[in-house]
Amino acid sequence: MSRPLLTRTFLAASLAAATALATGQVLAEESHLPDEPIRFVTPYPAGGSHSLHAGIITAVGEEFLGRPLISVIRGGGGGAVAAAEVAGSTPNGTMLLFGDPTINSLRPQVEDLPYEMDDFVPVARINYSPAIFVTTPDQPFQSIGELVEHAEENPGEVVYSSDNRNGFTYTVFEMLKATADIEMRGVELGGGGPAVTQLLGGNTMAYAGDPSVVGEHLEAGSLVGLCVTDTERFEAYGDIPTCQEEGYDVVFQFWRGVMAPAGTPDEVIAELSDGFQRLTEDEGFLRLIGQIGSGIQFLGHEEFAEALAAEQAALRDAYLDD
Amino acid sequence: MIDLAVLQQGLAMLASPWTFLALSAGLAGGILIGALPGLTATMAVAVLAPFTFFMEATIGIPFLLGIYKGAIYGGSIPAILVNTPGTAAAAATARDGYALTQQGKSRKALELSLYSSVVADFLATLVLIMVAIPLASIAIRFGSPEFALLYLIALTMIATVSGESFLKGLIAAGLGLLVASIGLDPMSGYQRFTFGNTDLLGGVSLIPLLIGMFALSEILMQLTHPPERTNDAGQAVEHGGERLKWAEFWALRPTILRSTSLGTFLGSLPGLGAEIACWIAYGLARGRSREPERFGKGSLEGLAAAESGNNAVVPAALIPMTVFGIPGDTITAVLIGALMAQGMMPGPLLIQQNPGFLFGLFLVLLVTNVLLLIFGLAAIRWLKQVTRIPPTVLYPCVLLLCLCGAYAVNSSTFDLLILVVGGGLGYVMRRTHFPIAPLIIGLLLGPGFESAVRQSLVFSNGSLAIFWSRPGSLILLILLALVILTMAWRGLVKAGVIRKRSKSHPTKSNNI
Repeated sequence: MSRPLLTRTFLAASLAAATALATGQVLAEESHLPDEPIRFVTPYPAGGSHSLHAGIITAVGEEFLGRPLISVIRGGGGGAVAAAEVAGSTPNGTMLLFGDPTINSLRPQVEDLPYEMDDFVPVARINYSPAIFVTTPDQPFQSIGELVEHAEENPGEVVYSSDNRNGFTYTVFEMLKATADIEMRGVELGGGGPAVTQLLGGNTMAYAGDPSVVGEHLEAGSLVGLCVTDTERFEAYGDIPTCQEEGYDVVFQFWRGVMAPAGTPDEVIAELSDGFQRLTEDEGFLRLIGQIGSGIQFLGHEEFAEALAAEQAALRDAYLDD
Repeated sequence: MIDLAVLQQGLAMLASPWTFLALSAGLAGGILIGALPGLTATMAVAVLAPFTFFMEATIGIPFLLGIYKGAIYGGSIPAILVNTPGTAAAAATARDGYALTQQGKSRKALELSLYSSVVADFLATLVLIMVAIPLASIAIRFGSPEFALLYLIALTMIATVSGESFLKGLIAAGLGLLVASIGLDPMSGYQRFTFGNTDLLGGVSLIPLLIGMFALSEILMQLTHPPERTNDAGQAVEHGGERLKWAEFWALRPTILRSTSLGTFLGSLPGLGAEIACWIAYGLARGRSREPERFGKGSLEGLAAAESGNNAVVPAALIPMTVFGIPGDTITAVLIGALMAQGMMPGPLLIQQNPGFLFGLFLVLLVTNVLLLIFGLAAIRWLKQVTRIPPTVLYPCVLLLCLCGAYAVNSSTFDLLILVVGGGLGYVMRRTHFPIAPLIIGLLLGPGFESAVRQSLVFSNGSLAIFWSRPGSLILLILLALVILTMAWRGLVKAGVIRKRSKSHPTKSNNI
């Protein structure tokens, strides 16, 4: 009878030891995240505003998230390749997507992509920027009203630089065309860089893009701002009206946010959300973000989820009606 | 004309030992990265750029520029030594460079590649400093129709790299274009030839395929067809062969000058990179050469043309960036990001607001060339020994590096599969005497050509007139016609001589 007793004692001892060890670990880290680095996936090629933001987040983030962040730049398919990969990864917080409205709200609804909108749960919104409609100083229209008038008189003659099908620029022009009931032709040029180049070179007549892309040209006077797709004016360019002020209901906020694959435990989402919140409150981080001409409009996972659901519903109405 | 204070600020930046150290470190690292197949300049600059956010601008930016330049040069080293282009821009270099190595002239090839690179880079940098603004204002006028025609001119180079059979060259190029069309349609977003495979959505990754077609197929060839070893034990000559003679280099000056101006022009067009410039320069050099039959078999002209063509692009790609703040290629896109993080927005405002820094950068670019020459010569002293390594040791190492490189591009295991398939395809093509270069050209130019044509047709509402109604496109269209006519004429002269002799009688009788 001594053997079972011995076994039992041993078992109890090892259990106690294990508990102690586990408690020790929790006390030391208080983390629900697996003890491995977080892969932070940028869904676009290097060089755009996404990879710039991601570069700063991954360089500063470790202190606030408790795990090293590895920046993975995975372009292709306008973001679909990276999104599909993150959607299919283990949902434990070790692989996150740096998402946006086209990847997470619009394209899964209107295109046949290898992932669904519900494959992701929102973690945190880092910031957003509106689009600014712009043209060159030598075009016959110098305000959004004149652009609409010109397009009404010459249907299909206004050619504008677009980025990608169902991209940021593409969407705001579709919204403008729908609300103003006008015809214009967009050329999909693949990104903000070539889009601005073609506009400056006189090959296209208008464009709408991120303030970080058009801002410098607005300051230099080589581009003229027409209106901003936000509910308020953009602080740095306060003399450009919002599209709503001018009578066109075009509001589109291009957010950049962290998305986790669906099925990630709630406590992991909450912990990540808190980590990103602390990061976005850090002074050094804010200074770097300021230097790339960007700001922070943080939303935690709960508020972000609400905003995202509203946006997805609005886009569903706008796109799937016609 | 140049402000003295600006001059002083620029020189002060150059005099700082930290700037110098950062530049040297970047350059050495860049050469190493470029020389490792798969690790590209874009990748290196993108990964390292966030670290420069915390550095002084006068340290961080020269560091990145050093990597950029070093990596473009470094890509030619494995292309010459083991027929594995380290970067896509070195694919043309591999043709004649590796042929020279096989002839035991690796040292000469390495030296020529270094000198052509440095000269081209230096001249293109002078162009950047002197005429950036006028050149850029021409370049920005280039719209999609002009790009489409430029791509078409580049595609005609298939004829010059097809080798003995033009038909086989066309088949290979068609295959390249077909593979390039895999993935999401660039305009409408529909999936093409993806067969529901998520990994194919972004298209077939170029670098893994390139490494497979060149390196893996070379290794397979070595395995099944080992070259006969010339076993002269009493080697009188130093290993790697003799060095490049001054007279040989001097004779190449028209080729280098031509390729440099071409590379500079193509680089200044936003969106066209070194991958395209090297092939056009190569094709042009062959067309103008007195001994075109030597191309692909170890021609010094071919090697010099390819290397000066792709290196001239590097400073030239900075032209649209400094003048308009528009990236010239993907690397300059990353550089713009790094400059922005330093609170400096490249473009018209930088010239006005911070001319001293810009002038300093230009000086740094010139100094980089001197450093590149020193580093390169030091590297060649060791590199020429690579041919001494027995193939049984060398090629397994190359294979390992290729696998790592192919994986590193996208951190994707699917790319390893592409590498293997590319290797198999390359091997079959070599065994059946299909040229590989046309396939690579088709693959490289296909997506850009397609987008440019389709964008042009949206501009013109479907009318083809856009390709001749604009002044720029008309000039290019005439140029394209001239290129094709010259090629056809040469071909006819060659074939016509034969026909004259054999068909002189039947022609007469037919004319009755």
